[in-house]
Amino acid sequence: MVRISKNMRKNWVVCSLIVVMMIILGGCGSSEKPANQGGTSAGGTAKLGVVSYLTGAGAAYGESIRHGLELSRDEINSKGKVKLELIFEDSKGEKNEAINAVNKLIHKDDVLSILGPTLSGEMFAVGPIVNQEGVPIMGTSLTVEGITEIGDYVFRNSLPEFAAIPQSIKKAKEKFNLKKVAVMYSDNNDLGVSGFKIFQKSLKEQGIEIIAIETFADKNTDFSAQLTKIATLNPDAVVVAGLYQEGALILKKAREIGITVPIIGNNGFNSPQLIKSAGSAADGAIVASPWYPGKDDVKVKEFIAAYKAKYNKEPDQFAAQAYDALQIMAIAIEKSGSTTDRKKLRDTLATIKDYSGVTGKFSFDEKRNPAMDVTVLVVKDGQFTELK
Amino acid sequence: MDFLLNPYYLQIIMFIIINAILGISIYLTMATGQLSLGNAGFMSIGAYVSALLTLKAGVPLYVAVPVGGAAACLMAAVIGIPTTRLRGIYLAIATLGFGEVVRVVILNLTITNGALGLSGIPSMSVMLSKVFTAMGLAAGIGGMSVRQLGNISVIFILAIILGFLVFFALRLSTSRLGRAFAAIKADEHAAEVSGIDTRYYKLLAFFMGAFVAGIAGGLAAHITFYIGPKDFAYHRAVEILLFAVLGGSDVVWGPLLGSLILTLLPEVLRFATEYREMIYGGILVIMMAFRPQGLISEDTLGFWQKKLMSKSEASTQGEISRRTTR
Repeated sequence: MVRISKNMRKNWVVCSLIVVMMIILGGCGSSEKPANQGGTSAGGTAKLGVVSYLTGAGAAYGESIRHGLELSRDEINSKGKVKLELIFEDSKGEKNEAINAVNKLIHKDDVLSILGPTLSGEMFAVGPIVNQEGVPIMGTSLTVEGITEIGDYVFRNSLPEFAAIPQSIKKAKEKFNLKKVAVMYSDNNDLGVSGFKIFQKSLKEQGIEIIAIETFADKNTDFSAQLTKIATLNPDAVVVAGLYQEGALILKKAREIGITVPIIGNNGFNSPQLIKSAGSAADGAIVASPWYPGKDDVKVKEFIAAYKAKYNKEPDQFAAQAYDALQIMAIAIEKSGSTTDRKKLRDTLATIKDYSGVTGKFSFDEKRNPAMDVTVLVVKDGQFTELK
Repeated sequence: MDFLLNPYYLQIIMFIIINAILGISIYLTMATGQLSLGNAGFMSIGAYVSALLTLKAGVPLYVAVPVGGAAACLMAAVIGIPTTRLRGIYLAIATLGFGEVVRVVILNLTITNGALGLSGIPSMSVMLSKVFTAMGLAAGIGGMSVRQLGNISVIFILAIILGFLVFFALRLSTSRLGRAFAAIKADEHAAEVSGIDTRYYKLLAFFMGAFVAGIAGGLAAHITFYIGPKDFAYHRAVEILLFAVLGGSDVVWGPLLGSLILTLLPEVLRFATEYREMIYGGILVIMMAFRPQGLISEDTLGFWQKKLMSKSEASTQGEISRRTTR
């Protein structure tokens, strides 16, 4: 018994020593970052919190958002009208983590407002908390219904699907004379399901018949069963609601088995990655988006050039929307004239109108959703081009 | 005082208590040596049932949460009765499969709103704040706002539930039932030969674990405003198992310590930003390498008891003898 105890004690000591060492090591890793001042920010620097999906399966989204925000922050700070400090917190795409992150940002860092979180499920969990505390929060990547209904302090600058999808259906109908379509959607993804519902509604409104509804799941790799069935029905177009990972595979398979009709996607298709993974099969993919990299606009061109110079990568819509979100926030902070008054910031944000950013002309509507122009894009020769 | 009342810390305490309750749920099934990975599934049933009852039917919370637990228990019967014959890894796989089935069913039902999840679930702290406001405490008491008061009462309620469960688990370990559990855990055949109805006791432990997990799910749903099928995916099942594996499953204090550490660690490590997950994983690996039996085992308790006793030699001889016979 005594020997066991001794052994055990040794193990305990080793164990706790290593844990302490690792924590110290971690501390060294992060010490290069500027330390927080704590309390209310002095000297006109507005502290903004960011909750984003920085580690885990969806970290690519979080990274784009982070890059967009950092680029935006540096530009704003160099202009010098307002000074912004961003505090990033990881949510891992989990709602409990997101709740802890916003609580930390509000109650420990005392931030003026919050940007994020990345997923709508996270927003449904953190929105009520943030709203209750009277902190303005702006989603930069949330496209499902019911986000701003959470409360008066909840904003988003990402175009909801219910505004984007009808446009792409309408345009595609005009262009390709659609009569009957087949629909596929990811049934274990909130974006897929909500995208499907909106597709269904707007197809009905346009008087287009749905001849088949097929489902798949995220992380599926084989779509031959669904697509073979669809191919025999000869639809005028295939409508897909899901993310780009599955979207690219669907495009590939569809072209492989001889489906040549246009494939209309939801917001998930709106990524350069779709073209990268599907290659030439991506041609004919249609998506409606406020972000159009090929737009003949100085702001867009400058943004793409600056982004490429800094990160050596093409910006996607998440980066563009995050970039604009911070610009909008900065305008509101400047207008409200305070870096600490959250109520004033909320009221000023709600009045933002006719800001022209990289995602086009932007205003908040009375429900704090964005009112912006949508461009319907089609992939042609490996590039997103405007569908005219 | 301000430090303690910071809603950030209050929220973490709530998560710790919920996870501790989940830790107890896995401890109860593991008390008979059954390795169940279905507790996330039971948790999701409890969460969805009680959330739907309060959202759609307007059932009061104190009814909805126990009903959620009972529903989880009912599902435990469906899965438990055919699978009690399974042992070890086979049971783990069957229950893991069960958890996934529950998740997929939730994903495809209309009432659960599929992948979109349920939002706007009435929150316990908001409800309690309203009660306090109705009681004429809108301005709060003793410098506390109504919202803080609400949060603290939630923690208080959760702590009472946890306290009761710990008490129950402690009493259980010295009862006839608990000894039967221990016997089955030590050697199922020997236990059966000595006249213990192993099937009955194993099922009982399974049900108790499911019920407690269901309660934890219901409570979690009413703390976080939103539940979605993603919250109960298999990583959740593994996380619950980790509470017991890391803390030790011999005594009830093990899973409690495990849940405390595993809930606090990600928050404590927030300063490490990108390195957070790496450090978290590293700590788990090291802990397992040096303490494969978990942080707290019966030996640990005995060791500290002895140590404490030798220090308090002044205490009466009677008390010591009472402790040693334990």
